[in-house]
Amino acid sequence: MTKVYALVLTGFGLNCDMETAYAFKLAGADPYRVHINSLIHGKERLEDYHIIVFGGGFSWGDDHGAGVIQALKMKNHLGDKLENFVEKGGLVLGICNGFQTLVNLGLLPALESSYSERTASITWNDCGNFRDQWVHLAGNVKSPCVFTTGVETAELPVRHGEGKFVAPADVLESLADNNQVVFRYADENGNPADLKFPLNPNGSAEDIAGICDPTGRVFGLMPHPEAYNHFTNHPDWTRQKSLFKRKGGEANTADLFKSTPVGTRLFENAVEYVKKNIL
Amino acid sequence: MICCIETALKPDLLDARALSLKKKARDYFSIEISDARSTNILLLETDLSPEELEYVKDSVFTNPVIQISATGFLDIDFDYAVWVGFRPGVRDNPASTAAEAVEDLLQRKLGPQEGIYTSCRYCLKGDSLTRKDAETIARELLANEIIQQWKVFSRDEWMKTEERVTPAKVILDHVPNFDVLSMDSDESLKKISDERNLALNTRDIPVIRAYFNDPKVRESRKTVGLDNPTDVELEYISQARSDHCNHNTFRGVFHYTDLSTGEKTVEKSLFKQYIQAPTLELKDQKDWVVSVLWDNAGVGRFDENNNYVITGETHNSPSNMEAYGGAITGIVGVYRDPMGTGKGSRLIMGSYGFCVGELDYQGPMKPPLHPRRLLDGIVEGVKDGGNKSGVPTTFGQTLFDHSYMGKSLVYVTALGIMPAAVNGAPSHEKKTSPGDLIVMSGGRVGKDGIHGVTASSEVYSENTPAGHVQIGDPYTQKKMHDFLLICRDRGIIRFITDNGGGGLSSSVGESAMISNGCEVWLDRVPLKYEGLDMWEIWVSESQERMTIAVRPEHIDEFMALSREHEVESTVIGEYTDTGKLHIKYNDRTCAYVDMDLLEKGFPDWEFSAEWIPPSLRGLTEPVLTAPADYGKLILDLLSRPNICSREWITRQYDHEVQGGSVIKPLVGKNRNIPSDASVIRPVLESEKGLVFSQAILPWYSKIDAYHMMACTIDEAARRMISVGGSLDHMGGVDNFCWPNIQYDSLKNPDGKFKAAQLVRACRGLKDVCLDYGIPLLSGKDSMYVDGHLAGEYGETRKVSALETVQFSVTGTVADVKKCVTMDPKMAGDIVYVVGTTADEMGASEYYELFGKTGVNVPVVDTARFRILYKALEKAVENELVESCHAIMRGGIAVHAALCAVGGGFGFELDLSSVPVDDPETMAEERILFSESAGRFLVTVAPENLETFDKLFKGLACSAAGKITDEHSSFRIAGLDRGNLCDIPVPDLENAFTKPFGDMI
Repeated sequence: MTKVYALVLTGFGLNCDMETAYAFKLAGADPYRVHINSLIHGKERLEDYHIIVFGGGFSWGDDHGAGVIQALKMKNHLGDKLENFVEKGGLVLGICNGFQTLVNLGLLPALESSYSERTASITWNDCGNFRDQWVHLAGNVKSPCVFTTGVETAELPVRHGEGKFVAPADVLESLADNNQVVFRYADENGNPADLKFPLNPNGSAEDIAGICDPTGRVFGLMPHPEAYNHFTNHPDWTRQKSLFKRKGGEANTADLFKSTPVGTRLFENAVEYVKKNIL
Repeated sequence: MICCIETALKPDLLDARALSLKKKARDYFSIEISDARSTNILLLETDLSPEELEYVKDSVFTNPVIQISATGFLDIDFDYAVWVGFRPGVRDNPASTAAEAVEDLLQRKLGPQEGIYTSCRYCLKGDSLTRKDAETIARELLANEIIQQWKVFSRDEWMKTEERVTPAKVILDHVPNFDVLSMDSDESLKKISDERNLALNTRDIPVIRAYFNDPKVRESRKTVGLDNPTDVELEYISQARSDHCNHNTFRGVFHYTDLSTGEKTVEKSLFKQYIQAPTLELKDQKDWVVSVLWDNAGVGRFDENNNYVITGETHNSPSNMEAYGGAITGIVGVYRDPMGTGKGSRLIMGSYGFCVGELDYQGPMKPPLHPRRLLDGIVEGVKDGGNKSGVPTTFGQTLFDHSYMGKSLVYVTALGIMPAAVNGAPSHEKKTSPGDLIVMSGGRVGKDGIHGVTASSEVYSENTPAGHVQIGDPYTQKKMHDFLLICRDRGIIRFITDNGGGGLSSSVGESAMISNGCEVWLDRVPLKYEGLDMWEIWVSESQERMTIAVRPEHIDEFMALSREHEVESTVIGEYTDTGKLHIKYNDRTCAYVDMDLLEKGFPDWEFSAEWIPPSLRGLTEPVLTAPADYGKLILDLLSRPNICSREWITRQYDHEVQGGSVIKPLVGKNRNIPSDASVIRPVLESEKGLVFSQAILPWYSKIDAYHMMACTIDEAARRMISVGGSLDHMGGVDNFCWPNIQYDSLKNPDGKFKAAQLVRACRGLKDVCLDYGIPLLSGKDSMYVDGHLAGEYGETRKVSALETVQFSVTGTVADVKKCVTMDPKMAGDIVYVVGTTADEMGASEYYELFGKTGVNVPVVDTARFRILYKALEKAVENELVESCHAIMRGGIAVHAALCAVGGGFGFELDLSSVPVDDPETMAEERILFSESAGRFLVTVAPENLETFDKLFKGLACSAAGKITDEHSSFRIAGLDRGNLCDIPVPDLENAFTKPFGDMI
């Protein structure tokens, strides 16, 4: 195999599959959008892929807790296969609803590499409502996360009603100690949001926006990297363009147009990792 | 056996739902709750063993990290507990997904006698809390009795009650049948119509009787065992002839008299004359117009390989009764239109327009729901419907006016995209042919939406389904959406349309016109519960259903895909060419009428329309002197409900899903100023964009609906041009909401005037659309936006909404990188005012501040404006413009202030340089607050000034200010160059964001 194959789940109310597949394509992978039932019924096999994405959306309407029924369904039908996939070195990405699902499955945070125990949860935002806004993120350079290599800060959109990360104190402590906290909500200078709304949009414990497993190959985050796949996705792009234009010389707008958005970089990192370590 | 699982968040976790209730109880009713916790209750009517129940509780419904749960009820302390559950038959979405999860866990299907029902409980504590308080909270904040039931328990009652809550099970106990109705006279048919809520028009009755008495018809009916009409048949005719389906108003005859000139005209069909004719004319000129005027939505070309689809709707009456249910049904419903356009399109965006009464209304009138509660519900309904559909809501507006106390308006708009060709054939073409199977996909059929709100007069029992108000189910629909697109791409969809108003009666009835006949087997239609009569199955408006024509050779593939996506699909009949609509139930015919029955000379509706010009109505300009304190005045205007920030609504809507967001609904330095328009990249591989905007300006109808219409279109067009759109490719969608126009000396004494307003609005529509070159890709009308509200003395008052049109525009931009936002970008840039300001303050926000109307309504001079717009389009195209903003409600003062906040710099404006039509009459306050159409605020970088000036040579466009970092104020110099006001920009921002600032 010389290609990097990414499986993006679809069906049952999931909805970010097109742009997630597109982001992988930009990053140089071969993405396939696969219905959950195709995987369950064995029409598609997990072992044919390097990366699986649990994407954003409202699986089963999120009626009984975000990602709860999706996790249940995956566990009932694909539990062992998923654990095998991780064990054999596959990459798992959970975005928003997918992050919620991974946490409910126990694939995250997987402290002490126990991939089926539920030790954390993602629940209703403190503000009591769904919220769409862009956030500043501080990346943890010490984290083993393979998706965020070299990403010190990032700006991405959050779009959720249930994004508040909660866990018992000892779990939070272990996460910090193991550098499994990958992204924290921050201010524009990269300082922790310190629970201040709207910098921390949901009241997440310790400003946690994304975590990984001890290997760094399973990664979940609330913000949507796939929604920052073009520089015009950024809320300030028209202002950035004016700035670039006025600087003149080499720093003209063409540089801005060519720049790789940080959202796409997360996907590139994953593809790069597979190429280096798996292919 | 009935058992119960109750779950709640662990006591140490913040319960946001309960906190929000606490806040509302205090804010709305001054009820102090010291502590509140909420729970979710699942009632299961199943044969689960106690072990299975525990297993289900722990595996599915309890998150051990954050939740506590119990079989039975949790022990939570309270002074009063409020339980809220659905009424029988109301769509319970969480119950359906709960059933899916339980079935998946136990690996068995629940039987027909088993069921799951969700409800919730609020445990309230408070020293001063009374039963009456708890009841107020239940009735006014938690439950809407139309769809929900509630109970209040004291601690004591809770402990003593054995059967605390019961499942909302539908029991009909009825053997399905159909009736044959005798109609020996017009009067007897009229009586039947009244008794059965058929709402047949009196003038249609003789036509219907003549048909069924025609010997040839009787002969042919005999062959299938029928003589007199059946209730199924009369229901079919009633649906097809309703204003909703047949647009009798817009197709009616208007006798129009201008009372000032005495001029009389007869308008034969507003639709044909003012909508169809100009659109067909423009279609010939614009090669991007692909398909208009017949399908569920209009189709325009996006690029070589893709077409976009657009339509707009309203969902007013249901939303007034049950705001959440009405609004979610509205948005989910309008999303089915693009899905049912051509062979089906993929949804790419949605928008909303809400018009409600004053949120702080404290007067004596009692609308079904207070505007505050109504808006809360509407906002939430569109939120759940839109977000859960995975469709970005990129644009929206919320208006407040007392006239919407009678009936609020909920506009919803939907856009989709489809490949230009499917299987080598144009995707926008579709047809039914004899032999095609009729398939119904999606939800099941219940008593939902039968006869709309007339059902509300029925007597309730505990098990009567509350059918007339529905709750949309975006989850079921999203599954169906994904499934149908796969079928489309495989080329196995011949025809597709949605089930909306009129249910199968409309979708099958209309699609069978193409093949010229159908045979339907109603007994095969899957039902939510047994006991529906044939006519009910036929006209039920149960949601989330599509009707599809599939060739027999494709049906196996279709059904296999349907199963894989867990979407229910059923073959319910076949299309024929017999010329007959033939409906059977268990092989017995219950309807057999000619397909061309509806063309059998039914009479047009007729209206008298009398136009009384504003001067004859006594409207004059108010007598107002120039203000002295411009600073305070501008801050006050920025804080007015129709101007100030409604960010709390915007942010509840996912406006970035699908990854193509280019211009978001909120822009500027602090991302808190409403954008003129939105732009998305619907095809991610391409840098081509789709621009969308809309305008609603009902206030000008107080003077003349012609100008209301013209200004509305002009504003929508300017909004679109501001971000980079062009008149070259601008498609429109007109959504009329009008009060009743049928004159009645007692019930509707001003009906003739309102009819004249409608005629005038249509004239405005045609004039401006033709002049600007905007074909109407789609449009709808909602004709009865009146309410009868109880007053303080036991009287009822009729409140009619202002004549309102929401006008939406869409079009393409070749390169999204050239799009522009409204916020100034750099200090040193020059501010231009484009367009002429005239003495046009009639019905302005400024006059309204003083409780005045005036008479000088803004006039749209299309010939003059067009030239300006083309110049501005060129300036944007050549990247000469740093920011661009249409000057709208509130005039230059308000919109320059918004630009100042958006930019975050100092902003200077010199009124003596603003282009005006007549310097003699244009005093400072007129320049600042006039709402003349055709204007923009633009900033230009110093290096582009010369080129920009050249482009606008000889046009109404002047440099009139600058962006500066020398100070951070909003400064306006008057006509004598003296300082009119100097307001710190943060104060402007505060005035703009504060009024609804504590709402999240």
